[in-house]
Amino acid sequence: MAKILINDVTLRDGSHAVCHQLTKKQIAVYAKAAERAGIPVVEVGHGNGLGASSLQIGESLLPDMEMLKTARESLVNSKLGVLIIPGIATINKDLRKAFEVGVDVVRVASHCTEADITERHISYVRERGKEVYGVLMMSHMATTEILVEECHKLKAYGAEGVVLMDSAGAYLPGDVMERISTLVANLKIPVGFHAHNNLGMAIANSIAATEAGATILDGSMRGFGAGAGNAQLEVLCAVLGKMGYQTGIDLYKVLDAGEIAEQELVQITPAPKGISIVSGLSGVFSGFSKHVDRIAKEYNVDPRDILFELGRRKVVAGQEDIIIEVAVNLWRKNEH
Amino acid sequence: MNTDIHDRIEKECAESVYGSVQALSALKGQSVFITGGTGFVGIWIAALVSFLNDNHGFNTNLTLLARNTYAFSEKAPHLARRKDIVLIGKDVRDPLEISEEVTFVIHAAANPDNRQHVLESLKVMDVIVKGTRSILSSALQLPYLKKILNISSGLIYGGQPMELDALPETFIGGPDCNSSASVYAEAKRYAETICSAYRSLYKLPIVVARPFAFIGPYQSLDKPWAINNFIRDALRNNPIRIIGNGTPVRSYMYPSDMAVWLLRLLGDGKPGLAYNLGSPYGISLKELAEKVKEHANSKSEIIIKHMNEDTSKFIPDVRLAKELGLNITVNNDETIRRSIDWFKNSSGLSQ
Amino acid sequence: MKDPHKKLKVAILGSGNIGTDLLVKVLRSSYLECALFIGRSLSSPGMTKAISLGVPVSDLSIDVIMKDPDCCNLVFDATSALYHKHHANILDELGKFVIDLTPSRVGTMAIPAINLRECLHCKDVNVVTCGGQASIPLAYVIGQIHKDVSYIEVISTIASRSAGAATRINLDEYIETTEEGIRLFSGCNNAKAILNLNPAQPCVDMQTTIFAKVKKPYLEKLRNAIDSMVKKIQCYVPGYELIVPPVMENDRIVIMVRVKGRGDYLPSYAGNLDIISCAAIAVAEEYAKATIEKVSA
Repeated sequence: MAKILINDVTLRDGSHAVCHQLTKKQIAVYAKAAERAGIPVVEVGHGNGLGASSLQIGESLLPDMEMLKTARESLVNSKLGVLIIPGIATINKDLRKAFEVGVDVVRVASHCTEADITERHISYVRERGKEVYGVLMMSHMATTEILVEECHKLKAYGAEGVVLMDSAGAYLPGDVMERISTLVANLKIPVGFHAHNNLGMAIANSIAATEAGATILDGSMRGFGAGAGNAQLEVLCAVLGKMGYQTGIDLYKVLDAGEIAEQELVQITPAPKGISIVSGLSGVFSGFSKHVDRIAKEYNVDPRDILFELGRRKVVAGQEDIIIEVAVNLWRKNEH
Repeated sequence: MNTDIHDRIEKECAESVYGSVQALSALKGQSVFITGGTGFVGIWIAALVSFLNDNHGFNTNLTLLARNTYAFSEKAPHLARRKDIVLIGKDVRDPLEISEEVTFVIHAAANPDNRQHVLESLKVMDVIVKGTRSILSSALQLPYLKKILNISSGLIYGGQPMELDALPETFIGGPDCNSSASVYAEAKRYAETICSAYRSLYKLPIVVARPFAFIGPYQSLDKPWAINNFIRDALRNNPIRIIGNGTPVRSYMYPSDMAVWLLRLLGDGKPGLAYNLGSPYGISLKELAEKVKEHANSKSEIIIKHMNEDTSKFIPDVRLAKELGLNITVNNDETIRRSIDWFKNSSGLSQ
Repeated sequence: MKDPHKKLKVAILGSGNIGTDLLVKVLRSSYLECALFIGRSLSSPGMTKAISLGVPVSDLSIDVIMKDPDCCNLVFDATSALYHKHHANILDELGKFVIDLTPSRVGTMAIPAINLRECLHCKDVNVVTCGGQASIPLAYVIGQIHKDVSYIEVISTIASRSAGAATRINLDEYIETTEEGIRLFSGCNNAKAILNLNPAQPCVDMQTTIFAKVKKPYLEKLRNAIDSMVKKIQCYVPGYELIVPPVMENDRIVIMVRVKGRGDYLPSYAGNLDIISCAAIAVAEEYAKATIEKVSA
């Protein structure tokens, strides 16, 4: 059976779940637990990756480099990973510094139809001889054919593998199966999948991806991530093991890491609730949930109306400002 | 530094051309026009012609056409200063008047960097297709024209079937024309067909070269190709990572040999024929990584990630070139050794 | 001012989308005359358009200005950052007033609603970025009204189809230049810029949001000042529109604007490109007026 590379996003996507307020202690404690469990890659940072601390997406408690340094000190065999989205972070301001701290793996992400913006950043990582993957976010918004094209670009720029993110938690297993199997058939590089649980499908979709040939899976402890969270990493490891896939991760220790995460990081275990279910249905970026919740209360409008309107307007990750515009418009409409 | 580079390149040209100087005499006193003149191919031809002029009294003139002539002056200042080399800055797609004395034309304008092929796919195709038409229609006006060498690509074969040890020029395969990954290969195929139309309609004496892979001076380590990455990582003592299983087989020709082959094809290639241009000596990626590590005296660890089971190969059958007496003078080990030595001392290794 | 003899002679260097859009705007201007439209290839779509409009063209690049320096008084450079660095020295020696539309960061940053007059004393002015043109005037107003702005952030979203290959490769330059402009004009040293590409069909208009953190917001005063600033911008960018006037949300000032393009050479969803050429034309017309005044005085 194939070997599956597990990419742990607890300390990155999980940041969304706590409004990017992870502390130094939390990062250190969790990174040590992940290291003990033999998790191959631990991704760390703001929910939207390097340089994303902002009023738009949410301000981090700690500067990026402090988060990375803290994790670096605890990771020996596990690799330290970062996510970078061109348009938010730059090579000069962010990526260069991340290398100084000792990052091993970089995932360069763009909206699913915009792979062209990743060329400089992928090349930069490649030229430094580090591992680099291309990531397509909000992948439910493009057809399979377009995803194949965009993945070809990522590969040509030098990505060693490509990862489809179901950022809105919008897929059903059949959607994943179709997309991943087509990508695997068309690309000679590893294909990965990043699930969100907005419709309760995170594990099912991750397994569908593996069965379709994906060899990289993202997950987080207790599902700690944006919206209804990610594929729960402990469950993922257990299920993959049961199916005969190898992950190189120690089951007991990954379960222990889950306990530690629950005690140290996870304030509220993510689960599909009203807003995140609608986020999955309307195909809106999971990271919007907390902003929608807050802004809906401020303007006294229904958060579900906001989400459906955002879905209709086809907003992409990074367009959190539009939530305010939509809320203001709904409020004006309600007033009259 | 500059004189060192100059001496080194001159010495390498001397070694590769040793024994074929006589065979190149068709180019003596001739005027050669090259498109894409400031690229890897252009610089090496300029270097070899300079050597022949300086040491064997060839008295050959070169005109190099390129969009950006500053790049040439930066990469090869000692060549840019020469009286027997003229630089012209112009887009190859534009109507062009070539000086009447020109007797040989080499069409080398195209960007082989596959990142560009996806970033600017339409432009890449446009440059190849319109550029080929433009240079051929200008060449039609040349009263003393003897030969045109169109530089195509080994990629036009679309891939090598497992049952073939090497790709002969007669192999009729092709890239998947319904894929944006085929932009460069398909445009190059079409350009060859344009050449055949000019041969048929106007009897233009066009020879085609189909280059495979090269490594050596004046390349850049940031190119997204396996050997360039291996060398870069070895020089930095970073892990050398092979994403698949290490079995794909490639071959690499040293550029001084490439330059000799190109000038010989220009002089003696038979119009209407296409010649593979590359090394027939295949090497697996795993073996290549090991050799790079050894020659770089590197502490790099070689990691075979087994993340795919690609077992492809891409090796030219060079029997046609051999019939012209062309051979490989720089073997695999020496090619790797010299390349590492170059990159160690050049600015190609940016931090 | 309809007398063609009194128009200022300008040359447009660069026959791509921006250069061609500029050309259409110059042809409409009462103060400017396109003396030469310059590119590298006579067969490009922009050149074809210029030829069809009966405009004098050249494919000799900067060389044509060097050969005949009297052909124009003002040069728009719509080539690329790399080329502008080369052109800047040549045009400086020839004493030309240059308006740079590339992200070269060579010249003085020009935001017509703020520093139009000052720009005329420079030799090389740069029109920053699309997000910069849309947001800097508002950031400037925020900085004028509040002396304690601790942070400003601008987010622009543009239609994917309006972002050509050069824009996509130069996202880092976009971000760093926009941030520099915000800092320079708002007086706030802490600035961040974000750019999103949205592929939705039909194409979205360019939209820009400004967030600012201040100790004590003066919202009423700010709303009035923003209104008059928006009117000022609309004089040279007709498609500029305030869609969310200053509000406080989550302890931050929020302002949103939308930019529709005029649809001159580029489609109307390309407000991001339109605002750049509109700003360049505004500077050029001001320069023309000043020059013509000087001549007639």
